[in-house]
Amino acid sequence: MIDFHTHPVMVKELLESDPGLVQRIRDAFGFFFPALPLEGFLLEMDEAGVEQAVLLPVDCTTAHGGPIVSNEQIAHLVDQNPRLIGFASVDPNQADAPKRLEVAIKKLGLRGLKLDPALQRFYPNSTEQAYPVYQACAELGVPVLMHCGMSWTPLGQAKYAQPLLLEEVIQAFPTLNFILAHFAWPWIHEATMLAVKYPNVYLDTAILYSGTPQDALQHVLVEQVGINVVERSLWNKIVFGTNYPRIDMRRCGRGIQALGLRPGTLKSILSENACRLLGK
Amino acid sequence: MKTILKRISILTHHETELIDITPRILELVQSSEIQNGTVFVLSLHTTTAITVNEGLPDLEKDITEMISRLVPEGQAYHHARYLPSDGQMAVNAPSHLRGALLGFQVFFPIEDGHTVRGSRQTIYFVELDGPQQRTYVVQIMGE
Repeated sequence: MIDFHTHPVMVKELLESDPGLVQRIRDAFGFFFPALPLEGFLLEMDEAGVEQAVLLPVDCTTAHGGPIVSNEQIAHLVDQNPRLIGFASVDPNQADAPKRLEVAIKKLGLRGLKLDPALQRFYPNSTEQAYPVYQACAELGVPVLMHCGMSWTPLGQAKYAQPLLLEEVIQAFPTLNFILAHFAWPWIHEATMLAVKYPNVYLDTAILYSGTPQDALQHVLVEQVGINVVERSLWNKIVFGTNYPRIDMRRCGRGIQALGLRPGTLKSILSENACRLLGK
Repeated sequence: MKTILKRISILTHHETELIDITPRILELVQSSEIQNGTVFVLSLHTTTAITVNEGLPDLEKDITEMISRLVPEGQAYHHARYLPSDGQMAVNAPSHLRGALLGFQVFFPIEDGHTVRGSRQTIYFVELDGPQQRTYVVQIMGE
């Protein structure tokens, strides 16, 4: 199982080495839970049955004064354990963002790009700010995991994260794979439409707004999207993601496995689709 | 009267786990040099427990299975929502309720420098929402 959506905002060793990061995680990211040693995170993965986890930073330097974990810090964590897969983040509000992305991918060995328009405060269909970053991503051959829908970050604004803003982008960059996080809740149907229509659009299962992970997954995938749609049209377009540590990885894993999906569909969602996106 | 307070941190490894902390408690009592008094053991977390039972692996399994039966996952608990003060989804009601059933503290008398307990009594720190870094407190009071 691969968890395609985790934020290392609770790693004790990281927080102890960077007091400014601690403050940004509280003020901008809105996370206040006690830190856990990296070993504890790996144990959490073991207990959840997660073999590998994608670590996501968010570079919100222009909007909030610095990154929520830098690319260098992500690379440092990845160097410590092969079960960790690092994504980069760049700030589209900075002119050198494409160059920074190239360094992160080519020099630091990171494997994809994370953007969070709600927190970074940019419109994802902005040709001036965002398109050069997508162009760099397409040239580097790495996927983009895009925050979509409601943002739990106290300073996040959902107006930047509406999935329909992405349709023109998806058309403009047909070779670039986009993963729309959180199934774009509450804009589930718009996100589903994009994933059904476009070969380069994927969705992740980090859906959390109320109830338990099992409740939320059941409500969205079974009752709203429909299990037949998942089985027929989305089986190869969904990746398992938890948004850990905002949500319990163990209970997310149990939630997806309780949906009653066919074994082949489950296998695709839990690992095969992620492997394909990561070029594994 | 002398009072000693120790905070002990442990990294738990499993979602539910009984960890024998008896040797640590006995050692702390002995090193305190308190001859007559009381030792209190308290967990600082609401999704853990401190309990006492016979230290056998089969009983550890029975206790684990009993609390899962008594407080199953998948019920319509109220505690299943976003908690802004943590920045997390609070989806661990079963862990809290299991902790409430088992209790969060135990105490034993100290007599002539020894902890007074039954020969089969093992003191457990019980993880109910792990793996996590946890802390329990041992307070030894007496003369």
